[in-house]
Amino acid sequence: MNTYNMVKQEFIKKWITTLHMLDSSVDHPTNVTERKNAIKLSSDLAIAAARSGATVWSRAIISRTGNKTTNKPVARRILKKARNRMKNRCTTVRRNGSLKAKIRMRKRTELLKSLVPGGESINNKDYLIRETLDYIVYLRAQVDVMRSVAAVDLVIGDLQNVPRNK
Amino acid sequence: MDLTGEFGARSGGGGMCRESTGLESLHLGDEFRPLVTLPPENAGGFTALLELPPTQAVELLHFTDSSSSQAAVTGIGGDIAPPLHSFGTLTFPSNPVLMERAARFSVIATEQQNGNVSGETTTSSSANPDRVKTEPADADSSQRLVSDQAAENQSPCPSQNNRSGKRKEFEKKARREKINARMKLLQELVPGCDKIQGTALVLDEIINHVQSLQRQVEMLSMRLAAVNPRIDFNLDTILASENGSLMDGSFNGTSMQLAWPHQVMETEQSYHHRQLQPPPPQQWTFDGLNQPVWEREEDQAHGNDHNSLMASSENLMVGSENLHPNQVKMEL
Repeated sequence: MNTYNMVKQEFIKKWITTLHMLDSSVDHPTNVTERKNAIKLSSDLAIAAARSGATVWSRAIISRTGNKTTNKPVARRILKKARNRMKNRCTTVRRNGSLKAKIRMRKRTELLKSLVPGGESINNKDYLIRETLDYIVYLRAQVDVMRSVAAVDLVIGDLQNVPRNK
Repeated sequence: MDLTGEFGARSGGGGMCRESTGLESLHLGDEFRPLVTLPPENAGGFTALLELPPTQAVELLHFTDSSSSQAAVTGIGGDIAPPLHSFGTLTFPSNPVLMERAARFSVIATEQQNGNVSGETTTSSSANPDRVKTEPADADSSQRLVSDQAAENQSPCPSQNNRSGKRKEFEKKARREKINARMKLLQELVPGCDKIQGTALVLDEIINHVQSLQRQVEMLSMRLAAVNPRIDFNLDTILASENGSLMDGSFNGTSMQLAWPHQVMETEQSYHHRQLQPPPPQQWTFDGLNQPVWEREEDQAHGNDHNSLMASSENLMVGSENLHPNQVKMEL
């Protein structure tokens, strides 16, 4: 039962889809940075889509993309599935302890919230940690897949001597 | 050649460890050796990793992935193990098992997502017993979590309580335990966290981990962008055959299999020699092109995976650059 492999597989499928979508909907990018942004966007959308809107971070990624101007059709397609799932979680947790410790904890929590997409809207620390855990799994899958694709790409391209833009 | 250089740079670390094992034919030059510097051994956890420039950090991650997942190794693994002891602080502890558990956690939460909060929390906490370490204390706490969760579900808002005092305390305790359980799991997931006491430092490590992963994504997408002239690169080709072997965890190894037919001629001899060594099921070590991936193909029990792999490999051998799109779609 290879759940992590399934995660990666799901990501791959979605990534292929998002890449195609982006390729067709966006003008041909001129430089490396634009391509990089497009690839990064596609892979972020892919992990969010692989999670299929069941978590706050995935919905946040999708809606964050939807607000940007360049990818309306792409984002709309994925947003359709996730649109009805946004939820407000309004429970809060109070911690006992010294003031300094509280402040430190608060700082760290805020930092974590800023890292995890959609984290700002999570007030319950329990949920924040759960979201982070989930997000880490998918981030890792993303990194693993991209790393191997980059490796293969490099080797194949190198051996085929295809001229490339740098 | 620039690309060879980049490739060599990334595998330079591996070359350093394995030059004696016959990678000279890959033309890893001396200029790549200085690129690999060992991290300060007294720096703990992820912060050490983050001090390095990204490329080296990625290389080190390669090593740590491989060294941590090769349990009983022979041959190549044996070569890796001694030089990598200094990397010990950076290993991802039991990587595949952890990712498995963590992934199961997310997948279970997904499958049972009914769109309501209580459903999610019930599910995830009922899955908790699987994930929390199998100690009596933990088992007790996780079972208590399930029952607490059931109790919480009845009145989700604290303001509705009749016996408010007792119940609030009850819920607080339950929440704290839940948080602790999840923190434990996060601790396992994020490398270097088990030794740390205190939630704050664990949070620090977690933050570092997330940041480093995000940075890796940036870097990898930059790399992919640099290599491919268009966005829609031939992901289908690459991944059609890899898709089959995802099941046995040798995802990254298959990429080597794709590259296999294109190996430079003089290296094939050394690779064939290595086939005789039994390949451990391993994480990706890209610098280890000498992985005996062909043997794994023989060992595979999955018939159709084997066929798809062979088919795509043969396609590449013939020299066709892209698989037929229909074939790709079928395999996907």
